[in-house]
Amino acid sequence: MALQDVCGLLEPPLFPQWTAPLSQSFMPEDSTHLFGGGIYGEAFSSWVPRRSGLNPLEFYMPISEYITKSPINFGQTPQSSNLLDVDHMHPTLPYISQSGALPFTLSHGTTTLGFAFQGGVIAAADTRSSCAGKVACPASPKVLPIHSHLVGTTSGTSADCALWKRILARELRLYQLRHRRRLSTGGAAKLLSHMLHPFKGTELCVAATLCGWDGDEDQDNEQPMTERYANTTLTSKSSSQSAASSGLSGVRGPRVVYVCSDGLRLQGALFSVGSGSPYAYSILDGGVRWGMSAQEAAAVAREAVYRATYRDAYSGNNVDLYHVTAKGWRRRERENLKEEYYREKERREQNNTGEKSIHSIK
Amino acid sequence: MTLLSLSVSQVTTYATPPLEPSRPIARVRAGERRDYSSHPSKFLKSCSCEDGVCIDLNHGTTTLAFKFRHGVIVAVDSRASAGKYIASKEANKVIEINPYLLGTMSGSAADCQYWERLLAKECRLYKLRNKQRISVSAASKLLSNMMLGYRGMGLSMGSMICGWDKQGPGLYYVDDNGTRLSGRMFSTGCGNSYAYGVVDSGYREDMTVEEAYELGRRGIAHATHRDAYSGGVVNLYHMQEDGWIKVCKEDVSELIHRYKKGMF
Repeated sequence: MALQDVCGLLEPPLFPQWTAPLSQSFMPEDSTHLFGGGIYGEAFSSWVPRRSGLNPLEFYMPISEYITKSPINFGQTPQSSNLLDVDHMHPTLPYISQSGALPFTLSHGTTTLGFAFQGGVIAAADTRSSCAGKVACPASPKVLPIHSHLVGTTSGTSADCALWKRILARELRLYQLRHRRRLSTGGAAKLLSHMLHPFKGTELCVAATLCGWDGDEDQDNEQPMTERYANTTLTSKSSSQSAASSGLSGVRGPRVVYVCSDGLRLQGALFSVGSGSPYAYSILDGGVRWGMSAQEAAAVAREAVYRATYRDAYSGNNVDLYHVTAKGWRRRERENLKEEYYREKERREQNNTGEKSIHSIK
Repeated sequence: MTLLSLSVSQVTTYATPPLEPSRPIARVRAGERRDYSSHPSKFLKSCSCEDGVCIDLNHGTTTLAFKFRHGVIVAVDSRASAGKYIASKEANKVIEINPYLLGTMSGSAADCQYWERLLAKECRLYKLRNKQRISVSAASKLLSNMMLGYRGMGLSMGSMICGWDKQGPGLYYVDDNGTRLSGRMFSTGCGNSYAYGVVDSGYREDMTVEEAYELGRRGIAHATHRDAYSGGVVNLYHMQEDGWIKVCKEDVSELIHRYKKGMF
């Protein structure tokens, strides 16, 4: 089949091999790579067609030369010995978390957010890509649509995020073709998390929020099951166990899942990722309610990104906003926050001229 | 094993000064010495996060202050943490220097308390000598000069000096580096970014007094909600023309619960 050929699966019966013990389906020299330990050592085949049968978890195999070297030195310029001097916003270097230096680990320079409400999911992000303290691109898209009902926000290394989003999109499409239904958001998150797992410990840095709408493929129901979600308060960040059962039981509605290359996968109602995330979190915590309308939700998301760009040097330029509903995702026009900044500055100046007359000098 | 023995030997070296230093004492830069046996910040680094003793100078707090038409609002949380342990959930992070001056504390609790009490003493002496109250600008300058005298020696303090003097409401941020900034709004501590988002968003110069109180409370409440090192209660002060008043002391869990339910 042409598709199998493209994906490098030359042996037609893929399915029977899934249940085969791992040792049989591997080449001997590749036997360690999936367990995380031997990733640095052995011959790592490229993902051009393999000779023997494939394990379904081998989604993407990079070229071996990149991996056989020690990952700490991969792509690195020599660092100063004092870790605290490292510019931890440099997008090609990972953030090396220091014990005791900062109470929270900062992701790379960005602000992205995603939250669910009764009318769907809002995903928003700024558009600044920074590199070594300079703005590499003021108009980079950080919210990437994956399929018709799923968008993902990206934070971390831009190259890694763009690549893994495309790989995820490809895998989801394959799933859809094989099983004749879309994979749920939770399933997509699990897939991404497992694909990233072999790279744990390397400098791969991807922190994505998958925002999507789950619904049955055959009965495309436009009414979301709001009654199941209405009782969950936003304070409970853990998944609502009553509603979040497996996709087979027909869970529908908005879903936000956070996946990161450390292996963390969290389902929740509200996430913000990036160096500007603290500024955005406080706005979102105070403004997001389940029952809000789509306009309110868009306004809150935009305000949160704007406040983050106001205070954070590594976020800025424009704001992108996507709204995912049962009918799919819709993208709002990219808005330049410079206008908003100047409008606010004018407002403040008008207020200040009033202030000077109040405080008279005694 | 070797790491442990290294830290132990450094501890004993500090407690009993060596008869002859292992390295010659040299001034590398003005105010900094290379003699590790008497360098407080190096000693603390040797103790922190090894086996056993963990003296971790966290900046675990959230404080904020902003000027508006009717004075200055000062809001602080009340959690004192030592590493992962919450040492106190009702620590007092605002020092009342005199009825017209307040100082907030963030950083190392010991440093803040000591130096701000010293500042209070200096302000009192100023008043006795000059028969008039010290200005906010001068008080903050005194504190910042004290910090500059010990620069590079491991002090940790981020403080805001707020008051009302002849020039009107005053707000200064003073740092352990000696930074001294006058401004309209500051927030310090590791929860400061959360507070900045809220206060930037809701701030208007012509707010009413009640709105300003609510903004200060919200800033601290949202910061404590997301930051692990802030919590406890919100202590809210309002600096008016005739002195400061303590507005409220509200538990942050109550506040968050009210905000989530949509009540104010």
